[in-house]
Amino acid sequence: MTVSSERLRRAAGRPEPLNKKGFVLLCAFVALVLILFLPVFHWIRLTDTEALFSAMKLKASAAGKLGDSWSIFTFLSFVQDSKQGILGLWSFVLLLIACASAFFLAAAPFAFLTRGGAAEGRGMLRVYSLCQKGLFFSFVTAAGTLGLTIFANSHYGVSGFACGWCVWTVIVISPAAYLLSKRMERQERELRREHGFITEFRRNWILFLFLVPCFVFFLINNYLPMIGVYFAFTQFNFRDHLFASPFVGFKNFEFLLRSEILHLTRNTILYNIVFIVVGNVLQILFAVLISHVTRTRLRKISQTMIFMPYFVSYVILRVLVFNMFEYEVGLINNFVTSIGMNRIDFYNTPGYWPWLITLFYLWKNIGYGMVVYLATITGISTEYYEAAQIDGANIYQQIRFITVPLLKPTFIILLLYALGSIMKGQFELFYQLVGNNGTLFETTDIFDTYVYRITTTQPLSMGMGTASGLFQSLFGFIVILTTNFIIKRRNPEYALF
Amino acid sequence: MKLLKRLFCLLVSLTLMLSLAGGALAADDLSQEANLVFYVMGDAPKDEAVVEDAINAILKEKFNATIDFQFSTWTDFTQKYNTQLTSGGADLIYIANWLDYGLLARAGAFLELDDLLNEYAPELRALAGEDMLNMCRVEGELYAVPALWPEYVPLGIKYREDLRAKYDLPYPDSLEHIEAYFAGVKEHEPDQVILRATASESANSLNVAFDTANIFNIKYPWVAGNALPYGLAANYDTPDQVYDYWFSDDFVEDMKLMKKWADMGFWSKSALSDTNDSEAYDNGLAIAEVAGMNPNKQISSANNFAKDHPDWESAYITYGEVTGVMYPGHATQNGTAIVRGTKYPERCAMVLNYLMTNQEMNNLVQYGIEGKHYEVVDGIYQNLDENFLYENFNTWNLRVNDYKLPQESDVALQAMFDRYNEIGAKSKFPNVNIYGGFTEDYSEYEFQRTAVSNVMRQYLAPIQAGLIDDVDAAVAEFRQKVTEAGLQDCRDGFTEQWKAYCEEYGYQ
Amino acid sequence: MKKIKDRSAIPFHIIKSVLLILLSVLCVLPFIVIISGSLTSNMTILKEGFSLFPRNTTLEAYRTIFRSPEGIIQAYRMNFYYTFMGTAFGLLVITLTAYVISRKDFKYRNHVAFLIYFTTIFGGGMIPWFLMYANVLGLRGSTLAIWFPALMSPFLVILMRTFITGSVPDAVVESATLDGAGHWIIFWRIVLPVLGPGLATVGLFQALGYWNDWYRSSMFSTSSETWSLQFYLYDMVNSTMAMRQMAQNVSINTADLPTQSVKLAMAVVATGPVLLFYPFVQRYFVSGITIGAVKG
Repeated sequence: MTVSSERLRRAAGRPEPLNKKGFVLLCAFVALVLILFLPVFHWIRLTDTEALFSAMKLKASAAGKLGDSWSIFTFLSFVQDSKQGILGLWSFVLLLIACASAFFLAAAPFAFLTRGGAAEGRGMLRVYSLCQKGLFFSFVTAAGTLGLTIFANSHYGVSGFACGWCVWTVIVISPAAYLLSKRMERQERELRREHGFITEFRRNWILFLFLVPCFVFFLINNYLPMIGVYFAFTQFNFRDHLFASPFVGFKNFEFLLRSEILHLTRNTILYNIVFIVVGNVLQILFAVLISHVTRTRLRKISQTMIFMPYFVSYVILRVLVFNMFEYEVGLINNFVTSIGMNRIDFYNTPGYWPWLITLFYLWKNIGYGMVVYLATITGISTEYYEAAQIDGANIYQQIRFITVPLLKPTFIILLLYALGSIMKGQFELFYQLVGNNGTLFETTDIFDTYVYRITTTQPLSMGMGTASGLFQSLFGFIVILTTNFIIKRRNPEYALF
Repeated sequence: MKLLKRLFCLLVSLTLMLSLAGGALAADDLSQEANLVFYVMGDAPKDEAVVEDAINAILKEKFNATIDFQFSTWTDFTQKYNTQLTSGGADLIYIANWLDYGLLARAGAFLELDDLLNEYAPELRALAGEDMLNMCRVEGELYAVPALWPEYVPLGIKYREDLRAKYDLPYPDSLEHIEAYFAGVKEHEPDQVILRATASESANSLNVAFDTANIFNIKYPWVAGNALPYGLAANYDTPDQVYDYWFSDDFVEDMKLMKKWADMGFWSKSALSDTNDSEAYDNGLAIAEVAGMNPNKQISSANNFAKDHPDWESAYITYGEVTGVMYPGHATQNGTAIVRGTKYPERCAMVLNYLMTNQEMNNLVQYGIEGKHYEVVDGIYQNLDENFLYENFNTWNLRVNDYKLPQESDVALQAMFDRYNEIGAKSKFPNVNIYGGFTEDYSEYEFQRTAVSNVMRQYLAPIQAGLIDDVDAAVAEFRQKVTEAGLQDCRDGFTEQWKAYCEEYGYQ
Repeated sequence: MKKIKDRSAIPFHIIKSVLLILLSVLCVLPFIVIISGSLTSNMTILKEGFSLFPRNTTLEAYRTIFRSPEGIIQAYRMNFYYTFMGTAFGLLVITLTAYVISRKDFKYRNHVAFLIYFTTIFGGGMIPWFLMYANVLGLRGSTLAIWFPALMSPFLVILMRTFITGSVPDAVVESATLDGAGHWIIFWRIVLPVLGPGLATVGLFQALGYWNDWYRSSMFSTSSETWSLQFYLYDMVNSTMAMRQMAQNVSINTADLPTQSVKLAMAVVATGPVLLFYPFVQRYFVSGITIGAVKG
């Protein structure tokens, strides 16, 4: 394939398809698939409703309210209204894939129009890659819909479900468009001197080999069990078991809205911000201090001592704390009365607890987090310091201009890492220190303790537990995506991913 | 992206696999050996294998089946119990009302037993009797076989009788006398802690938020301990006449009493976060316990006193002795169910039948091998080997009255039971635990329920612990908050179900 | 060793000493309380609370814990086994993964990093996780189920990546690549040798995580043979407390255990070996700055 140098030069400047005709065709395909996703098109039709509804054991009145044609985005409400939990998970996964597909397909033209990727010299590659992802998922959606109807028909023993014509269209169009996009991507790659997966694999196969255990582990331990998010939308019972229990939509999320969610969110986030910021600052401070202790033995001993609270379990901490802060015989109140002051009623005064909880959090975690910074400081070449000393830098300047800047990447990574869990809390810490003492909840109730109380008063509340987890996750996800995006813009070195 | 593709393939196949595994109920093929997992609470005895082998030698020959006891351990046991049911790892399982038997049965965790018992366990059915079995029914279906040993677990107050006698104080058999007793001890021994109380731990407690509030059972002849949830109450003689406790003047008066007691220093100002456990009373760090007591706990305290502090004396007054409301523990206190999803439902029924109707087998399971682990002297059980103690499989669900070997302490216990039995016989529904068989279905108002329980922790607990300045104002605030939380929905839903239940069983 | 000549540094060293001594004391005091509590009779703790020095000294708590020595020895053995397996394999796969996502010439490094990080945010909850191991993989009762699920943690992978990027300059790798070294050689010969502090830190965290774990033993064990030390101890206290609670509902005989002092003795028994072992790891990350060019 020959490309004129003129076109090459132009295309390198801003993204422009090399093959105009092909590109128009691809656009048409993508637009068509996107349009077919619109809820007005019927992906699943009910054909033999009478036989089907009787096979579903639906009463005539309930059946009457159900329509006989459904789009891919509305099928879950059919599952809910007809109480056919068995179809729930399948439709749920289909819905997710369909959303992913629509997202990528819509992002492709957006990337083209905003010249996304051009800045990195990747020209049209990003557009093609988005198209391919979108088309792949749309094909899976369509094939999955087909699979769903086959499964449902065989499950109920009636041929009551049929795919609409749009499913067949997508099944045919998506692969064709996918291949077209692939072809154009190949041209573009030659131009950009980029390589695809296969070349990368051939070049770095050993890195892929290194990753095998990692993939296996996270697949088993995290990704496959993620099916469990579906439980957030069901009401579990043992007859239908995990994957056929009734689909109840957002019912499990309602309790979050009823609770003082703003209050809980505020508490959780504030505590976490204080923990992250103050915690890291103190860890850095003490790591720097320890690294400046001249005598090896002293350095080791003090570091060990600071690490020790990590081993005090919260259960024991709870007993120690109660012994200290109790009203009548607590150590502190004994001391306070012995110097002639009034007793302090810690356990009925919410105001003290944010301070106390933070204090005990820091006490327990400084040593642990400090190790990371100590190790980083150890890794700093001593030449820097020697050179600085020769230049006459005093100890403050050494810390200010050598140590601290070199700790920054670690700090930012730890910070970013913690941000994703900003809605999750140190459950044990709060639960053990505060327990069931409702008087203190105003300042000590965080999301996790609240959900714990709710779910223990409701056995079989798997749905609510998962729902609140999902809420926390989504919140954290948005926070982390935003921060990571900003950081990546300013300095890709520091980004988490 | 390649990874994602593969992921979805796996997802779908896994889904199918799991959903198929969850649903099907295979027929039991008797010619095939069945290894039944029997899930019980607590920790395994040391000689688990020895006794299991002895049991299995018999079961194998008779039913071509073996039993493997699996133990929950006491760490996170409720969570693990539910997980066990979800993952279908057991065939037979211990059930109890404190493990939410009613709710789990309603959610379909156990197999329906009527037909199975008729066909494979007729002796057991006859031995249990329909009255006992009916108490285990949930929505009309039978899901469990109860233990066949009547026991009483009435609430009451356990107190230091020696101190009462020493200072010539009244018996704590009414609120006034309790106050006089506490105040009397406090007066003579100002440093003595009276009560160790704490925020109510019990997860499902929707009537009490602070332990000491249990004391009001001595004042009201309520149908159940602490009356009904959501601040409702009904008296034992008229269970279907539900009345409002939280919004009544009685409630305000009671809370003022709590405030008075708190001010008199009967419990710590930090009580709501107390790390209290029952060691306190046995070690003389409290002079009474008013919550969660029962005859068995009195006996164990008495034994501890006899061992460590011979000059101390523990006494026990049940609230029922004062109010005349007395009934035995409910059938669902200890029972056995067959887990839905077991491959061997028939074998489970046959084996359960044998475990409970064959004396030799029953004793083997409960006490181990005679001559090796225990012996019977004058009709009393004597342990011979630490490796298998009394009822060491924790199969309290397999207790059968005729076969149960009494321990030494059981003599005193039995005497107490006999007295309670007499009192119970005089009540309107002689010796019937009315509330015990009721399971509330709160799925319609579960969010209101959670909100109410939250408000109770936050606003009711300090009131019941007397830690507020102005009772009237605090009660008013609590009433307002709990109403906002949706109390009425809970009450309406509960009352409707409760009345229907009373009508069904003729408790009117 | 260089002498400190910088006079302006004197206030720094004074503040440093004061702060460190203060914090060290704060951190160690509770531990002393715990040790002395574990040697105090249970009654005394219940009556008088904790104190810095043991009163009514007794070994009853330790005797209770070691009541059945074979049980606790087995628990120690299992704990060493889990900690060793988890740390050895975990450290290897974590480092391999971290190396890959630290390579700038690896096209998919951000995708992989994202997939790993993503697991910290979204999860399916405990039950599907349990079903995965217990039902799908059939590992209930197996020791594999106790150490495998904590083999890698996203936190440690990302931490390790930071250590690698921090301690292996790009230029070194590039020149090695020009010399024809493959990833295998670079990883073993260039990256690993300079990764001492990183390996020590991540290994320490990994080992501590395993040493302190009781949850997986609780979930997956079907026999006390496979219990980890922490679970063995934890269950001892839990069963006493639970039996006492339970006795509200069922007529049972409750076991007697001096719970307060046993809880404290447990902490000592479980932590002891770690504190003995700790200094061996410590030398990798406490070689200080002023000590000059000599590196541990």
